[in-house]
Amino acid sequence: MALSLTIGITGPILELSALALFLRNSLWRAYPRLFAYIIWLFCANSTILVTDLYFRAAYTTVYWYIDSIDIVLRLLVVWEVFQQIFPKSSGLNRSLSKGLGAVACGLLVLAFAIFWGYQNYPGLPADFADRVRAIHLALDRSFGFVQALMILGTLLIARYYGVSCGRNIRGIALAFGGWISISTANNALVAMVDMDNSLRPVFYYLRPLSFVFMLVVWIWALWVYEPNPPIKESEPVELDRWTEDWNRTISTARTIIRP
Amino acid sequence: MDGGLESYDLNCQDHHTTMTNLIFFATLGLLLFGSFIILALQGSPKTLPDSSAVRAVTEIINLEGSSFSNARRLLDDTDYQLLCSNPDLRRLADRLRNDRRQLALMWISLLQSDLLTLWRFRRFLIQRGVQSSLGEEVGTLQALVLSLVLLNFLRVSIRTVGPFALPRVTRQAGQLVESMSKGAALVLGRIPAAGWAEIERSWVKTAA
Repeated sequence: MALSLTIGITGPILELSALALFLRNSLWRAYPRLFAYIIWLFCANSTILVTDLYFRAAYTTVYWYIDSIDIVLRLLVVWEVFQQIFPKSSGLNRSLSKGLGAVACGLLVLAFAIFWGYQNYPGLPADFADRVRAIHLALDRSFGFVQALMILGTLLIARYYGVSCGRNIRGIALAFGGWISISTANNALVAMVDMDNSLRPVFYYLRPLSFVFMLVVWIWALWVYEPNPPIKESEPVELDRWTEDWNRTISTARTIIRP
Repeated sequence: MDGGLESYDLNCQDHHTTMTNLIFFATLGLLLFGSFIILALQGSPKTLPDSSAVRAVTEIINLEGSSFSNARRLLDDTDYQLLCSNPDLRRLADRLRNDRRQLALMWISLLQSDLLTLWRFRRFLIQRGVQSSLGEEVGTLQALVLSLVLLNFLRVSIRTVGPFALPRVTRQAGQLVESMSKGAALVLGRIPAAGWAEIERSWVKTAA
């Protein structure tokens, strides 16, 4: 109980510190979606803390409904990371955004499908409260898994094209990806230990502790404003010359293969 | 989470399917977490130097060792094996092996000299006020020492077991100079291209 309370208080304090950093360094202009998400986190976790302390009967319902809204709002962080790594004005964004948008939609459909399959699963508990809990855990792990994949995919594509990330986005993306992966694994493990109670305390605290760790990394990453360095792009004339050279190479290769 | 979020009893008949599903997600989650840890440990991708700066470095400095493009041929033992297969040509095979050994040793010496020249050029640039960090300098020095150790090891190996013993490692020795050259180009790229001609003149004067 003491550890729960400590985590419950530490979360809003760290979120408030992050908000102060955003305002002090005017980071909210550079990272508006992340700023909105941290405001949400602060409001949500403060509500959970107040409910835990003063409205105990409603705590479970409030916790799970806030967690469900959070699952959707986490997409703001994914979107921020993508937009910062591949800015709208960059050629990489123009080349990749449509394809990656389709992949992201596919992943969301997959998450819905996994969740839908679980929701209609006959083995779910009959009791309403237990059923709600099982469904929320399933929602969290299916969407958490997809969001972690999105962040990892963005980072891997950036690495593939040699796009450098500044301290801000690198810290935010890695900490968020790490937490969301732990959350996915942890939710599965929590559901597993529900069937075998011996390991319960370990897994019940892993997710909130890793969340606190993520907030600490975010504060570290945002301590100084260090955005992503701009992507160097070649002049259109140079690009045209490369295209010509490339087309010539391809046609020569075709001639050699099929004379 | 605390006591208010306690567990439920799952229907035992579907236990197996549920467990498989949960194990699948737990494994995927852990794999993803491992991937993020690896990405975090790897650090940011290294900045690549501008291609014009790389070209300028090779124009300013005459890199004799890395410009040798026939390393594969030099270290290929096909001719030697062919000669060895005929007992009458054994002496000729030995001579070929000795010649190749001498050539490979000469090439390794040239690569060492290239590495040292590039290192001197880098120091020359920084001495003239081009910006660099202590971490970058320590990294360069570390890469230089390791490269020289590897080249000396290759030299010993060529002397003792011949030029055909470690062909792949020996061939890749040229890449050490290439990466050092990129490091120098990265530093050169920090000054405007208009100043490169002046740098070249000063370097030639210093080298002379």
